[in-house]
Amino acid sequence: MSFELISNLVAAFLTLCIFSFLYKENPFYRMAEQLLVGVSLGYALVFTYERIFIPYVWQPIILKHNFVLILPSILGILYLFRFSRKLGWLSRYPIAFSMMGVGFGVPMGIHAGILVQMRQAMVPLENINLILILIGTIAVLLYFFFSKAHTGAYGKFVGLGKWYMMIGFGASFGLTVMARISLLIGRIQFLIIDVLGLMK
Amino acid sequence: MNFFERMQSLDRRWIYIVVALAIIIPLMIPYNSDNVTSPSTENLYQMIDSFAGREDRAILLSFMHDASTMPELYPMEIAIIRHCFERNIKVFALTFLTSGAPIIDYAFNSVKEEYPDIKSGVDYCNFGYKPQAMAVVLGMGDNIANTINTDAEGRKLESLPIMKGITNYNEMNLVVEFSGSTPGTYWIFYARPKFGVNVALGVTAVMAADQYPYLQSGQLIGMLTGLKGAAEYEKLVDVFAAYRDPAIDYSVKTDAEGNKILPGRPFGKEVLNDESTKKLINITTQTKAEFTPAEYTAFVAKYPKQKAIFEQLKEAQNGTIIIDVTKITPELRNQMGETAYREINRLTYNINYKFKVARIGMNAQSVAHIMIIVFILLGNIGYFIQKAKSVEK
Repeated sequence: MSFELISNLVAAFLTLCIFSFLYKENPFYRMAEQLLVGVSLGYALVFTYERIFIPYVWQPIILKHNFVLILPSILGILYLFRFSRKLGWLSRYPIAFSMMGVGFGVPMGIHAGILVQMRQAMVPLENINLILILIGTIAVLLYFFFSKAHTGAYGKFVGLGKWYMMIGFGASFGLTVMARISLLIGRIQFLIIDVLGLMK
Repeated sequence: MNFFERMQSLDRRWIYIVVALAIIIPLMIPYNSDNVTSPSTENLYQMIDSFAGREDRAILLSFMHDASTMPELYPMEIAIIRHCFERNIKVFALTFLTSGAPIIDYAFNSVKEEYPDIKSGVDYCNFGYKPQAMAVVLGMGDNIANTINTDAEGRKLESLPIMKGITNYNEMNLVVEFSGSTPGTYWIFYARPKFGVNVALGVTAVMAADQYPYLQSGQLIGMLTGLKGAAEYEKLVDVFAAYRDPAIDYSVKTDAEGNKILPGRPFGKEVLNDESTKKLINITTQTKAEFTPAEYTAFVAKYPKQKAIFEQLKEAQNGTIIIDVTKITPELRNQMGETAYREINRLTYNINYKFKVARIGMNAQSVAHIMIIVFILLGNIGYFIQKAKSVEK
């Protein structure tokens, strides 16, 4: 028995265990579910040790004597005090340090997420799509402006915003169905092609 | 109890069985269908293709997903890597997720099986898993070799041949991120505004709706959406990158005027709409290489020593010349030589299963969608009939 065959059989068995939930809750499903959690955690632990701790902490400090890395390592170790009721406050220091990234992200996020998007909503109305985008943007923004009652002509216009959102939700739902079906297709392709070899 | 009322009270397990059959049957009986390519896929293809054969250009693939989203994202990755291997485009890959690292290896190794001349460190390079995403994204804007330092195999990046002519984002000018959760955040928010790198995404269909605004505003140069996007890209690779003109000898690297001869052909909308391209995208098994008399003469001229074998194999049908590769015995294959055998096989336009997996999946997807629409309609009609009856009572 080759390694590939054994791994395919194990994967096929676990896939069927998970699919068995479609019939009803059962011990095979629960076993596969808990195995997934355990394996993921174990994999992450080993991977973190091999690919992060060894090359980025152990080797530079112990083998290359790059002692300046002791400081960030200590800062990282402070995270572990989260488990202590008495010394838990120490874990706030690395968290505070990592806030630097959040600070850096704010201007960049505003630039890419708001300013560029706004700029693109202000282009000349050269085609029907751009007109629809402009109407939709204004109508949806006004829909969430609650200081004025949604009545009369204004109410009808902001109601258009609701329709825009409905169409958006419909598109999201369609894409979600497509994604879920794709996952099922992937598993069934695995079962009938990789495991059973019914198609080449 | 009428039909619609029965449908309302149908056990959900019957629906699961119907869904399963709607997927299993089209998968087991594949049929040739066309996937109309969308502008976002075409734009990404063209951008990648513009780097073909250039020493000073490369693309970076960012694998930001684990095995759970592989059915949608993996065919995209395979298709893009294949495009790069076909058209001599330098390609790098990295991941900021621990669970993404084995997927990079799996993808490269899987495509490489079909391209024996492609070498790690020369044609492609796997940076592997890198922690501290933001530092890496910003650092590569200055110098890639200094930031990444070593590749996944532990080799110094600066000593690899692939790094010749590649310093930072000025050369590695396109990043394609594959993700099922927060696609492209680092690249759109940090790398693009700061260094002007082009960004594209390959996303699961669920995430696509959130990313369309970035596509509309031009912050993304292209996007592959779920299995459909992967199927579209597979088709473009078959029509353009994997195409071989029977008359051109691709073993020669430059023509008489000193211009590079690249395998494949450049993107063209007119080619895509041409009827003749249909034979290039058949997902059913193809065993016959078809030539016009002029093409056959040009093809045989490339292999004068094998001419007798081709003459023995050829069949004339309706003004075309056909060679059936199933008639090539192991002895004939030995006499023909591997290069000629591979080329004649390629001219059948038979597509390896791993390069058409998304298109086969899309057949099942189409059937399943029609079935779900029918279920939604029946459910709604049943609901309103029941509602009308309860009002009457």
